[in-house]
Amino acid sequence: MHGTDTIRPATGEISDAIVRVDGLSKRYGRTVALDGVSLEIRTNELFALLGPNGAGKTTLIHILCTILAPDSGTAALKGCDVVRQPRMARRHLGVVFQEPSVDDRLTVFENLNFHGLIYQVPAATRRQRIDELLALVELEDWRHALVRSLSSGMKRRVEIARALIHDSAVLILDEPTTGLDAQSRERIWAYLMRLRKERALTIIVTTHYIEEVEGCDRICVIDRGRILAVDTPAALKAAHGRELIRVVPDDAATADAIRAAYPAARTPGTGAAGGDGAIVIEADGDAAAEVFLKKFGGRVRRLSIDSPSLESVFLSLTGRELRDQPAGKRERTYAFGRRGGEHTK
Amino acid sequence: MGQLGALYAIWLREVKRALRDRGQLVGGLSRPILWVILLGIGLNPYFRGEVYGETRFVIPYTYLQFIFPAVIVLNILYTSVQSAVSVIWDREFGFLREILVSPMPRALILFGKVLGGATVAMVHGSLVLALARFADVSLTWADVLHGLGLMFLLSFAMTSFGVIIANHIRSFEGFGVFSNAVILPLYFTSSSVFPLDPALTRAQALVVYPEWLVALVEINPLTYAVDALRGAFIHFHQFSPMLGPIIIAAMAVGFFIVALFNFRRS
Repeated sequence: MHGTDTIRPATGEISDAIVRVDGLSKRYGRTVALDGVSLEIRTNELFALLGPNGAGKTTLIHILCTILAPDSGTAALKGCDVVRQPRMARRHLGVVFQEPSVDDRLTVFENLNFHGLIYQVPAATRRQRIDELLALVELEDWRHALVRSLSSGMKRRVEIARALIHDSAVLILDEPTTGLDAQSRERIWAYLMRLRKERALTIIVTTHYIEEVEGCDRICVIDRGRILAVDTPAALKAAHGRELIRVVPDDAATADAIRAAYPAARTPGTGAAGGDGAIVIEADGDAAAEVFLKKFGGRVRRLSIDSPSLESVFLSLTGRELRDQPAGKRERTYAFGRRGGEHTK
Repeated sequence: MGQLGALYAIWLREVKRALRDRGQLVGGLSRPILWVILLGIGLNPYFRGEVYGETRFVIPYTYLQFIFPAVIVLNILYTSVQSAVSVIWDREFGFLREILVSPMPRALILFGKVLGGATVAMVHGSLVLALARFADVSLTWADVLHGLGLMFLLSFAMTSFGVIIANHIRSFEGFGVFSNAVILPLYFTSSSVFPLDPALTRAQALVVYPEWLVALVEINPLTYAVDALRGAFIHFHQFSPMLGPIIIAAMAVGFFIVALFNFRRS
């Protein structure tokens, strides 16, 4: 099972890589969180890590942030090894964690100034950057408000601004939009896009919202601790995205008949939106839908055709849908591991 | 300069957070009033060097004067240990990560935190000085400076001690209970509210008090901190005057090293 379909770019393939990860593994007890992950991220790239909850994204991020030690393998930021030279690596790093990490008893300005001071940004630069970044995330009017009085979307924006006060070369955002409403999510992505235009910055972002990664330079699809594919959105769609025929059969007998006729068919629908018993068939050729309708046309309640999308790429790579997966045992184990890694012992 | 600025940032954050916490301030004010005005004035008449009309030893101070330096220690003790709640706070609310991914060395982070907590504790300790006139303690500037120096060292030691406790406690509730369970016994066995008679030999002291109590008082390091402050404010020592400052300094260094060891490991 191990490594058969893992895509492993050879180290050194990308000459201007700012982040190099090689053979990274990490387990929490018996649960494997990362299984020999290797990847390289180019300077000034907008790089997305896409995967369901518990895929290993946060574990990978924590190792890159130097707050979690890998069991094996290496990771380097701008040539600084995260295990051997953590303090050097941290200088190049701006991080927005999944859970909020602003001090809500301080004001917005105090939080930003605190960050500038501990990263040893000179006073004049510090003031200037704080002004610029508050303008960027549209929080000038909230400069002297206590953070506890802000909404969660605004807190996120404070964190993004904060991560950029020092000369961070790599900005890591771990699920920056989780738990936010659609409007706040859109805004945050708009800031990231604007940032990239304004300064040289490598951005690594993790998400499990597939529609968010369309605008990224490259996407890394990760699941169960392994990298399934790394490529541009267009290339991924071309290589893995098929037209999908999604049908809801009338009864169980029809469902069995469809599965017999299409052995590769899957029944991914679970979770909140699923449960309607939809069967997904990969369309092989333009006439596939027609062929299907001829055979089962009278016995299906609903039929829809998904054109190649990242959603279908993900489905074809992992065999499951990305969204609406309840936190499984695995996710709980990770949550425990994260707590354990940081709070206990 | 850069590292000093970073240290300043961490120190300033602790101080600001404490100043914005009304509850802490109220506690820091009400505690000394309770102990000095109520307990001190209330018990003052009963504190005499005579038993059955016969004077056993001459006491050169009143009960109010006697308890005054100990209340300073109590206020420092509470505030220092409580300030370590911010360690749990940072851990539970994610702010610790923000500090941990910064290029600051761990030792400096902890030093800044302890320094901040110690500053607040020392300020709370100094609040007691405002009650000096009610306790008939006359202070000279030299006394105050001497006392403040000792108080700062003690605050630093006790804040480090609080951080050690906080590193082993998972919840806020647990910390509240545990800190009380540690603070009060330490305080009561530090010869704070009753004196070990200086004129008596150890054998004689054992006649007045049970042996276990004398032993507890003598092994409690806070006993010597209280004694040092009595030296500064009412010029009275139960033990060798050098012992107090040495033990306070040793606690400051020792507890900080243990706290740092814990902090590095987590």
